[in-house]
Amino acid sequence: MKKRWFHLIKVTFLSIFSLMMIYPLYWLITSSFKSNEEFFAEPYAFPTSISWGNFTRAWEVADLGTAMINSVIVTVSATALTVFLGALTAYVLSRFTFRLKAFLMVFFLLGMLIPIHSTLVPLFTMMNQVGLLDTYWALILPYTAFELPIAIFLTVAYMSSIPKDLEEAAVIDGTGYWGIFFRIMLPLSVPALSTVAILSFLRYWNEFVFALVFINDNSLKTLPLSLSIFSDGFSTDYALTMAAMTIAVIPTIIMYLLFQEQIMKGMVAGSVKG
Amino acid sequence: MQANLKLKGLLVITLLPALLLYSFFVIIPIFWSSYYGFFEWSGLGEATYIGFQNYMEVIQSSVFWRSFKNNMIIVAASVFGQVPIALALALMLRKRNWFQKVVRSAVFLPMVISTVVVGLIWGYIYDPELGVINAVLRAVGLESWTKSWLSDPSVNMYAVAVPIIWNYIGPYLIIFIAAIQNIPSEMEEAAMIDGASGWKKLIYIILPNMWTTIKVAVVLCISGSLKAFDQVFVMTGGGPAESTEILATYMYNNTFLVYRYGYGSAVSTMIIILSLILIGISQLLMRRKNG
Repeated sequence: MKKRWFHLIKVTFLSIFSLMMIYPLYWLITSSFKSNEEFFAEPYAFPTSISWGNFTRAWEVADLGTAMINSVIVTVSATALTVFLGALTAYVLSRFTFRLKAFLMVFFLLGMLIPIHSTLVPLFTMMNQVGLLDTYWALILPYTAFELPIAIFLTVAYMSSIPKDLEEAAVIDGTGYWGIFFRIMLPLSVPALSTVAILSFLRYWNEFVFALVFINDNSLKTLPLSLSIFSDGFSTDYALTMAAMTIAVIPTIIMYLLFQEQIMKGMVAGSVKG
Repeated sequence: MQANLKLKGLLVITLLPALLLYSFFVIIPIFWSSYYGFFEWSGLGEATYIGFQNYMEVIQSSVFWRSFKNNMIIVAASVFGQVPIALALALMLRKRNWFQKVVRSAVFLPMVISTVVVGLIWGYIYDPELGVINAVLRAVGLESWTKSWLSDPSVNMYAVAVPIIWNYIGPYLIIFIAAIQNIPSEMEEAAMIDGASGWKKLIYIILPNMWTTIKVAVVLCISGSLKAFDQVFVMTGGGPAESTEILATYMYNNTFLVYRYGYGSAVSTMIIILSLILIGISQLLMRRKNG
């Protein structure tokens, strides 16, 4: 009897806590379907009717379409670059022995200790001098550079667990190192590489500070940057702001629903290594 | 011999791209900023060498140290907020049924949300007129408790810390659940036979076995909280009157709003030094207790 009560209290508590965790998002998404009048009158009620007006308005007025395209270009290119460079570096670090190997591992590990925002000023001035500011590269390159340590460590750990028999057979067949990398290691490492890809995608899609400092040109702004500016300009137009935020959040929620276990494990592994 | 040369060439070609990219964007900036910290520079035109003046100014700036104190509030809020909450939840979430999975997913969900969106939504939640917090307080008759949470200097730093706690509980929960599942089942069975159940089992079996994991979580919490920027920047920008300034917003405001790149570089260098000291201290403390 006592046990059943305990169980009931536990379930109730967990339910309430989960609702509290989700509430801000629930509120965001429901509010984005309301008109401003309805939002001010009943800010917490469920919308009386579903209208897509805010979304089309956000898309047009705030030029979210451009921001969405920029975010896709930057995120996809940086993710591809991260996966490729991460895999290549991990292949060498996990399969060859050479003098600087241990040093390189530590060198890449160091990057996880550096607070990203402390590199803002130097990166801004450095990229200013070589004319990289206000280009897609101003985001793609630093994003990749900062994600490389995690990408390399997740992939090295995975590749080290792949038995060497296949490669040895391939070497006997006369396959070169590149052949082994592209035809054996890359396909076999797909589980690790897909985790790297998902984590990079989420990180780049949501990234804010670099975009804030390195991008000034309106036509190059990514979604988080547009949202932050947008919220100042239209701060009283709640319905519009909420709809714009919902548009930005939906892709990441879909990713989360599809790859939950991988995201959880990957993020935990990435943070523990750092 | 030829094969050896070929291998060396391969190593150089394969490692170089990642190494160059990483060095240029992650490592060199640290040295670059400590160097530019010695100059007075508006970003345009000539930089003038001024010795240690910028560094002295940072050390003597009361706002810089207040920002550091505010950063410590976030660190403390994370250590005493995220870790106990995640631990309590993990103890309740040891089964793998659908209900517990849903709870886990809900707790982890904020991790994938853009930090800008997190800052903006919580800005609305704290809104004195429309915000849900004041609405709830008014509804339960605690009208006198309502506040403008983000502008009242007596509470706003704590208000700013709450969304950061909310944002990052997920990974700690997952780490703790894994640690609990790793406790050998023989140990729990032995405890059951000895008649230890409930609280006794928790105190004598579960917590001691998780101690190492809890320490790792605390270290992660400290280094993670030092990276805070986005949510604070979006919610308050460090204001009003620098009351919610943290190191990163202080650096941003002093560089990109007033064009003092030399001073901003000196602040960046100080941030790296302080972070490394804190991470070092926390690692050291943890190691000593281990021994």
